[in-house]
Amino acid sequence: MNPGLKLLLVMAIALEISFTQSLIVNVILIIASFGYILIHRISFKALLGLILWPFFPALGLFVSQWLYGTAGIHFAWILFTRIYAYVFLGATFTLTSSITDLALTLEQDFRLPSKFAYGVLAAFNLMPKINEEVKIIKTSALMRGEALHFWSPKLYFKAILSSIQWSQNLAEAMTSHGFVEDQKRTHYRVIRITGLDWSWFIGLFAIVQGLLFFIRY
Amino acid sequence: MDNKTQASMNRHHQSKWTLRNIILIALIAIFTGIIFWGAGFLYTALTVALTPIGGAPFANDLLMGLWCMAGPLTGFVVRTFGSAFVGEFLGAAVEVFLGGQWGAGAFISGIVQGIGSELGFAFTGYKRYDWVSLNASIFTTVIVTFAWDMIKNGYNKFGIPLLLALFVTRYISTFIFGGVLTKMIVKLLDRSNAFSL
Repeated sequence: MNPGLKLLLVMAIALEISFTQSLIVNVILIIASFGYILIHRISFKALLGLILWPFFPALGLFVSQWLYGTAGIHFAWILFTRIYAYVFLGATFTLTSSITDLALTLEQDFRLPSKFAYGVLAAFNLMPKINEEVKIIKTSALMRGEALHFWSPKLYFKAILSSIQWSQNLAEAMTSHGFVEDQKRTHYRVIRITGLDWSWFIGLFAIVQGLLFFIRY
Repeated sequence: MDNKTQASMNRHHQSKWTLRNIILIALIAIFTGIIFWGAGFLYTALTVALTPIGGAPFANDLLMGLWCMAGPLTGFVVRTFGSAFVGEFLGAAVEVFLGGQWGAGAFISGIVQGIGSELGFAFTGYKRYDWVSLNASIFTTVIVTFAWDMIKNGYNKFGIPLLLALFVTRYISTFIFGGVLTKMIVKLLDRSNAFSL
């Protein structure tokens, strides 16, 4: 499925289950997403993480709602399954789609200005380097006997200085490779939203509406 | 030109949506996203510790300020309509792609927090970039995100005392991280003339 449409679908469903209260639909969404992820053969480790990490916030919400909530245990279960529904819905997108494809389709099919699509894509591709830079900033501070934590202004200050420098370099590099802002571009890789994409999108969305309408428990 | 007039000049500059600024916003969002990622264990630890007494939502509210920092930061560095929103949203998107605990929920939280952050700067007309606009942004962030948690995390089913305690916790957290810490960072940037770079 087209990554842009898939993201839209995932977000629309996530938004909808935030406002509706149906335990069974939440469970159906979890199972369906889980099946979708399994078909795409993700690693066992990633799958385990998906199940384990949300357990803490989900259980936390459940217990507090159970102890102090006025809506009873059924609502507590809804909140519990809602967390998992978010996570598995999100995983159907993040584990099976690439950021590059998303940027391309957002630019070509969703009319996002190309400077946004390619600018953000360029930044996201620097993610490993940014990870490294955070370590470098922390380590070099340690060499001066200064420990930087997430509450240290200096850590963010240095991160922003790096961002300013890198953004300048990246923008110049893109310009020197022929990127011109606000100009029409031709595309080496063309991504289209096909009729099949639309049928999946509309079909799945309609099914969720039907489920939410008929299953109220 | 002495330092003071230079600083006040910088405070009045207006930015545009250029390629360079878009990359800058995204980079700052990713940086903050990765820094919070390192603090992710804190959220889980707090949640685990507070769950037996049913106080897990407090973990969420205690750290809310941290998650809402990208907005005010990008809003201050790139001073134009929408920069706080885009920064905050991308910050949340980073968490999703790093494999966060919230999945698709983080995209929506990012939009909600982004709107909260942006509203504050909108109310001051993108003209003031000082303690007042920062506080306006904190105020709108707390209101908007709390309203969202009323629905999403079922806060509306709690009694008034608990609700009030959660609200105050969130306000203090947002004030400290989104306000005081952001102000300190902006001051460092101002002193080093980074805004004119």
